[in-house]
Amino acid sequence: MIVCQNCKSQQPDGSIFCSECGTQLPLINSAQTQKFSPNTDQLQISGPYANQIPKQTGTWISLHLLDSGNILAFSEQLEFTLGRLSDNQPIEPDVDLSPFKAFDNGVSRLHAVIKNIEGSAILIDLGSSNGTYVNGIRIMPNVEQRLRHGDIVALGKLKMQVVLS
Amino acid sequence: MQKSSQDYYALLGIPRSSAPDEIRRAYLKAAKKLHPDINTAPGETEMFMDVQQAYQVLSDPVRRSSYDANLPPEKNTPAAIDKRILVSRKSLSQIKEPQLVYVLIDMEPSLEMLDTIGYIPLNLCLVLDNSTSMKGEKLETAKQTAIELIRRLKPQDIFSVVAFNDRAEVIIPSSRQSNPVKMEKNIRQIQTSGGTEILQGLQTGLDEINRYLNTKSVNHIILITDGKTYGDEQACYDLAKQAANRGISLTGLGIGSGWNDIFLEKLANLTGGTSMLAPQAKDIEKLLIEKFSNLSKTFAENVMLYYKLDKSVEINYAFRLHPITDLIQSGSPLRLGPILQNWPFSVLIEFKVSPKELESEFFTLMEGKIEVSASNIPLPVPSMPIEIVLAIKEMDDSSGTLYEANRAGDYEPPPSAIIQALSKLTLYRLQEKARNEMALGNYGKATEHLQKLATRLLAQGERSLAKTVIFEIENIETTKTYSEYGAKQIKYGTRALLLPEETKK
Repeated sequence: MIVCQNCKSQQPDGSIFCSECGTQLPLINSAQTQKFSPNTDQLQISGPYANQIPKQTGTWISLHLLDSGNILAFSEQLEFTLGRLSDNQPIEPDVDLSPFKAFDNGVSRLHAVIKNIEGSAILIDLGSSNGTYVNGIRIMPNVEQRLRHGDIVALGKLKMQVVLS
Repeated sequence: MQKSSQDYYALLGIPRSSAPDEIRRAYLKAAKKLHPDINTAPGETEMFMDVQQAYQVLSDPVRRSSYDANLPPEKNTPAAIDKRILVSRKSLSQIKEPQLVYVLIDMEPSLEMLDTIGYIPLNLCLVLDNSTSMKGEKLETAKQTAIELIRRLKPQDIFSVVAFNDRAEVIIPSSRQSNPVKMEKNIRQIQTSGGTEILQGLQTGLDEINRYLNTKSVNHIILITDGKTYGDEQACYDLAKQAANRGISLTGLGIGSGWNDIFLEKLANLTGGTSMLAPQAKDIEKLLIEKFSNLSKTFAENVMLYYKLDKSVEINYAFRLHPITDLIQSGSPLRLGPILQNWPFSVLIEFKVSPKELESEFFTLMEGKIEVSASNIPLPVPSMPIEIVLAIKEMDDSSGTLYEANRAGDYEPPPSAIIQALSKLTLYRLQEKARNEMALGNYGKATEHLQKLATRLLAQGERSLAKTVIFEIENIETTKTYSEYGAKQIKYGTRALLLPEETKK
């Protein structure tokens, strides 16, 4: 059994996407899922795979938040949306950046998505109000932008550095 | 003594490129079948010895390579079809829960074949709803497009048109287009009246197709309607099943929001065909012409998958991703539909394996064959055996955790083609879920699923479809009904996501 980290529903072993919410499930099998318990409480991140330990095996990308010094590391999930939760609206990002002053920094509710496409980290702005910047240059919405190790990404004014492994 | 002509690979029934574990598996299978203890038929003991001999040679890398070096070259005839079968996982876990396995079957005509094939003539019937609701732009566009199709026919094509309301009328009898001027005139004279009785139109359309029914043609009905039929649904399904058995397939084109997509979809699926949505009258032309051009680029009229499953295995669903995106009606054999010349063919199947004592090293998920009927190829396409075998991963009994090798990281992620396909198909299935829940009156659950769908659509950059979904959520919350318009837009919109990137729009 795989527990979907997004909606907590139980999915049969071998599932690749959650049949309840459409989120991509961690690419691991059941026995490992049970052992895997991301330490998200401390950070109060609703996003499923964010956790504080960047050296987790299999981490392919981590985002180092420049203002707060927090590190968000991603290993199993090969695609995640970044944004902030707000009341009375149905859209939920995979990674909620509210704990990092997302609202004050102008992060949209569904701001951007990062995907791992055949080993490359791809960033797409999802038509956010305040834009997404890579190394200070605003990227076009809905256009794929390849991220390189060390890039500084800003969602609105919320800045983070990309560390690829 | 080794017989010089003996081909060990042929003996074991495996290709020369087989990996060591495939060789071992083939050997175990053959040895079990031929073992002298259970087999006393004359000659089989010798075969058992040969199999032993073959395995001894092929399982030893050194002996295998020297054996390979002396093998006469394989007599290879170019395959008519290139096929690829991907499986989401290489092994099953020994756990007491159901597990899923995805299989993706891709096929396309080989390049050699594309150069040599001929044209498969069409035997096509347009069955056109001319009930009162079609009045105006809808009927006029359909008529205009029908005339356009006549101009595109090739001399060897057979064409007919049937108009129906509560009764059916043959507008153009099944024929080669000997007199296009008269055909056009007949079409222009179609008027609207009466209600919609699809059985009438379907029956008359099939009669027309039957007059020139030929296994060497693409026998096809395109049913165009904007309304619902009442009471004759089951009779229509029965007709469709008969038609499918005679090699006739059907496309259902629904206009606007008042037609019954669930009915038309099932009707088409029973024949290996599909349903399409024309949101407005002006969309009829493009869809019809596209359909026509695909029909005339048929490479193989039909592909069937015959299979046997272990009793612990069932098929949850089979879905054709392209060329004709649609659910495949369940049953054995699976009618996978046609292969086109210009579009790859791709089918995804979800298997559920129920818990069972998995004692041996391997588990056969599916065993069967793919049969392709392609009448324009000079030689029949040989049937393609398909066997999907998974390894069984051992569990460490004491702790219940998986075997060491797995933790060490030899877990392989599913092939990216399967992930890609599922990332879109999951959205279509969320939509389906919401719709089923609405039918059961479970509004809360339905809107919840639509919300998740909207989120995923936004994340994939599908803004306008996401907007339609959000609009529908509000509609359901206020009216407690799923609007016919929204239901169809969302269904056919999520389905369209499955088309390959370059063909979208």
